[in-house]
Amino acid sequence: MKKITLTIAMIISVVTTAVFLQGCATSQAIADKSGAQLWGENCVRCHINPSPVDFNDEQWTTLSLHMRIRANLTQDETKKIFDFLKMSN
Amino acid sequence: MKTTKNNSVPIFIGKELGFKILNPKSLILICIFALGIGAACAQDSIQDQIQTLKDEIKSLKSEEQTHFMVRGFTQFGLEASDENINFNMTSFNPLLLWRQGDRFLFEGELEMEYMANQFRINLGYANASLIVSKGLVVRVGKFLIPFGTCVEKFHPSWINKFVTMPLGVGHDGIAPISDIGVEIRGGLQLGKSKMNYSLYAVNGPGIKDGMEEPDEAGMLSFENATDNNNNKAIGSRIGILPLSNSSLEIGFSGYYAMPGAEESPFMGDTLNEDLNYKDVTASLAAVDLSFVKVISPLKGILDIKGQYTLSNISDATYFNPEDTSRYTFTNNSMAYYAQLAYRPAMATNKVLQNLEVAGRYSVCNTPEGSLWHSKQSQIVLGLNYWIEWRTVIKINYQMTTIEREEMEEMPGMGSMTGTHSVADENMLFIHLAVGL
Repeated sequence: MKKITLTIAMIISVVTTAVFLQGCATSQAIADKSGAQLWGENCVRCHINPSPVDFNDEQWTTLSLHMRIRANLTQDETKKIFDFLKMSN
Repeated sequence: MKTTKNNSVPIFIGKELGFKILNPKSLILICIFALGIGAACAQDSIQDQIQTLKDEIKSLKSEEQTHFMVRGFTQFGLEASDENINFNMTSFNPLLLWRQGDRFLFEGELEMEYMANQFRINLGYANASLIVSKGLVVRVGKFLIPFGTCVEKFHPSWINKFVTMPLGVGHDGIAPISDIGVEIRGGLQLGKSKMNYSLYAVNGPGIKDGMEEPDEAGMLSFENATDNNNNKAIGSRIGILPLSNSSLEIGFSGYYAMPGAEESPFMGDTLNEDLNYKDVTASLAAVDLSFVKVISPLKGILDIKGQYTLSNISDATYFNPEDTSRYTFTNNSMAYYAQLAYRPAMATNKVLQNLEVAGRYSVCNTPEGSLWHSKQSQIVLGLNYWIEWRTVIKINYQMTTIEREEMEEMPGMGSMTGTHSVADENMLFIHLAVGL
């Protein structure tokens, strides 16, 4: 019973925190970053930056979901990075 | 009620009620006006509907509502030890991705390997994810467990800078790799910083009772398709990226499970039926760190990663079928690794740009007093050549030291004595890893 209560409390606190943090305004410095800059900063955390020409727009859209989930990218980062990749392929 | 035939005279209806109705001309004008407005509104509404339909058709035509693609990775090459030299096909993992709209993704990976004349195929993971909101993703199915970052990040062999995983991580590790359950996760902006989180409930591990493998009694077994009890393992990871350029990430992970089955594994064995592991608990914790940054004075990219993992399993009594003895031990394990890689990506020489030097040190200590007790340490030195951003040739020299305490019977004495053994295993790997 304690475990269930603890689990529920953890879920509620994480979801509440997530919702609260969504309300936080994105800092100007990050909001101003281009897709190219975010591509350079984020992809390299795990692997060499991918070449935009390796995939078409349709494939990049699918990969954007895959990477958003796997790398826990934020929504804004994902949109900017993959818009940049689609624009550059 | 009175009415009149004279149209010029206003019509009085219900005079007794005391209100006046408009004359017929006004009435007709109002009707025409109302019809006009109605028609215009109807026209607008129809136009809107047509436009909506057009947009919908356009979006269906241009935007790929569903998309299926195959990716994955493979790794193979030469492995040389003191005993033999082999060409090994270590892995071929096709990954299937299926997207529905822009919020739903299914991903499934098969792990295929051909070693020692045996072809084996396993389900690496298969799960469905739904993006619920800006910072919330719900995932169900079999997924890689975000305990630390090593398993999730280094899983594709072309991303791992080394041929092998650090000690304590992977299929013989002290932490989970993948499991079946439900997870919520996401990434969030936190002012100039970022954070990411993951919270999950999965079937959880089992605990080895020593019946089949006496040497592994007390060890957690993470590879279970079905749960052995009604308790679910729960875990979470919080990652903080304090710098606005996302170069530094520090993560904290926790995992709790009750790995024992409800019934004693020795049911029917009257001597050992009292041995039961249903109240055994397993608590795991890890801290991970990642720092990846372009260092301009060095004209390259510096990549530092590390993780420290602790496993604590509550005390229990185990049975050794080989000598019919009972024993117990403090079931704590520890593993850590630190690795560093440098690639002169901004060098003028193209060959140099694609070269990467890497080094890793890892340690894994399993519980003293257990039959699987060992102290292992490993150093790996690597030289990688990147043919393309997802194709790499890895040359690794791996030196592993394994210390063990083994109990042996004294010849003619009938008593047991402990012997300390140290073994060194050196390996050379030349592998090609390809991201498909």
